[in-house]
Amino acid sequence: MNLLDIRNLSIELDTPSGRVLAVDRVSLSIKEGEVRGLVGESGSGKSLLAQAIIGVLEDKWHVHADRFHWRGIDLLRLSIDERRALLCRDIAMIFQEPMSCLDPTTLIGEQLSEAIDTSQLTGYFWQRKKQRKDAVIKLLHKVGIKKHVQCINSYPHQLTEAICQRVMIAIALAGRPILLIADEPTAAMESTTQGQIFRLLANLNQLKNMSILLISHDLENLTHWTNTITVMYSGQFVEAGSTEQIFNKPMHPYTRALVDSSTKANLQLPSKSRLMTLPGSIPVLQHLPIGCRLGPRCPRAQQSCVAAPKVSNYHGHKVSCHFPLLRETGKKESVRHKASKGKR
Amino acid sequence: MLTFTLRRLSLFIFTMLVLTLLSFSLSFLFPGDTVINHSGQINASAAELAHLNQVYQMDKSIFYQYGAYLTHILNGDFGQSMASQSPISNEIIKLLPATIELSLVALLIAMLVGIPLGFIAAIRHNKTSDNVILSLAMLGYSIPVFWLGLLAILVFSIGLGWLPSAGQISLLFEIEFVTGIQFFDILLSDSPYKWQAFRDASAHMILPACVIALAPATIFIRLSRASMIDVLAASYIRAARAKGLSFQQIIFRHAIRNALIQIIRHVGLQFANLVTIAMVTEVIFSWPGIGRWLIDSIYQRDYTAIQSGLLVLSCFIFIVHILTDFIYAALNPLARGNKHGS
Repeated sequence: MNLLDIRNLSIELDTPSGRVLAVDRVSLSIKEGEVRGLVGESGSGKSLLAQAIIGVLEDKWHVHADRFHWRGIDLLRLSIDERRALLCRDIAMIFQEPMSCLDPTTLIGEQLSEAIDTSQLTGYFWQRKKQRKDAVIKLLHKVGIKKHVQCINSYPHQLTEAICQRVMIAIALAGRPILLIADEPTAAMESTTQGQIFRLLANLNQLKNMSILLISHDLENLTHWTNTITVMYSGQFVEAGSTEQIFNKPMHPYTRALVDSSTKANLQLPSKSRLMTLPGSIPVLQHLPIGCRLGPRCPRAQQSCVAAPKVSNYHGHKVSCHFPLLRETGKKESVRHKASKGKR
Repeated sequence: MLTFTLRRLSLFIFTMLVLTLLSFSLSFLFPGDTVINHSGQINASAAELAHLNQVYQMDKSIFYQYGAYLTHILNGDFGQSMASQSPISNEIIKLLPATIELSLVALLIAMLVGIPLGFIAAIRHNKTSDNVILSLAMLGYSIPVFWLGLLAILVFSIGLGWLPSAGQISLLFEIEFVTGIQFFDILLSDSPYKWQAFRDASAHMILPACVIALAPATIFIRLSRASMIDVLAASYIRAARAKGLSFQQIIFRHAIRNALIQIIRHVGLQFANLVTIAMVTEVIFSWPGIGRWLIDSIYQRDYTAIQSGLLVLSCFIFIVHILTDFIYAALNPLARGNKHGS
């Protein structure tokens, strides 16, 4: 059964010149225990989608969805408070720039202990304080912070970015979530610490069977850690499928371009030659193209692209394009992948 | 923390040095003999004048003169008042506590009223209550204090007869002068009418303190509203919401502390403004404080008193500044500790 099932979620922004559709009918489903990647350029609405799921968007954003199920419960039927209570219990989120997501004037220990729900503690109120402290230390150990005394008694600005992200993960784990949404958890981090954070998330996924929604702009890096990937472009759903399908047999011209622009998939390219890129840049919110928003940049665009394409499903590989790259490119792609594997 | 204290202390010393330089130069700029402006002895005989010239080292270069002036001030000798021919230091000791009391009570009222109102406005941003609070703040800020003081007397003292219009305490109560701060003196005294005196002093305090507090309170409303809006938009508040904290928990545990830190800095700055307002209000309410005394001295061309009043008041304001800096550092962990490269 799907853990999270979202169908046609739209997010609109109130601007002086009317409402802008920032996220246009995106569907997303997450199965129990899987790591799903959500890929897109910056500004493609992936962070918005994540924040809409957990319900922390500001008032100026308006969210609509055709279906929003969480473990079989129809969340659209619940009131806002009930929905928030349910989601905050089961879903946790970690953000980019962890240092700014921790209250600068509160000790780490305090911020951690307030995330621990009272229902997790047993015993009388005079025992609670000690239990809370033990739970905090346990959480810090879980995320690989050994010097817990030092960490509890410091302020966020006294710690490094990576430690702060670990603390954020610890805070997220405090609620014993079923789904963890990680919104670019390693942005602006060194690659070694990036690896550590991703390994920690992968461990949590395997040991605790915690599902993870991993949001990133880096498709190549994401493929190491995810089971399935959803690609977004400029607030529109592009393609979803298993990691192999997306990386080896992309059907959408945009995903194709994403894969082509990464070095790993292009090992056969002669050295010092240019990587393939799409011309132009992601459209701004005020001037969104109609229909498929990739249209102006798409190498395969034709007249029918001014109408938004429907999502078509090829054996679990969903793609939203009028002219998907079907078999012939798929074959070529797999051949090329074999060749690159042979080289490695 | 030691470095922080030392830095503030050195700042204090140098600012005070500049201030004494200013008040020293005033003696030359005021009409009349410099040594008489220094000492305030207008009726000095020839022998006394010669003695004064020697004491203030008027025959030597200006650096020696400044040194002599500084020594006098450091010894607590501000000279005599030209108007009353009594030592200024005695008058200041008598009058300054009343001003401190009044302005601190006014500051307290302004903060207790202004900051929560600003927070409420920020939490209900762009709603009716926000607009009402903001327009009230605008209105309050635009009312001139001398007019408001007279109006308050007209309504509450003459019209309704609720509160006394002038003075610090009714003449019926005889309170011994100990600290100069009326409330402490009343509590320290062993008069059988202690509590009646306390109530009477409070009644005298309410009107002038509220009049003084109005303008700073409106500034605090706007400051706290702006900083609360900033804080509520910060990503750690969003993270706290994602953590599952309730709105009250977020406001009381995270938002208020962070917003207060930004306001505390401005409290020190607003205090100078508040003391200026207090000086005008003291005249209106016949409050026996240093502000009224200073304004009287200006009318009487009491140059010695103007000089030393200036010095003492600015010293007082500066001390409050430093105190708010310390409170800021105590509340804000980012300001504490050693910073490198800043």
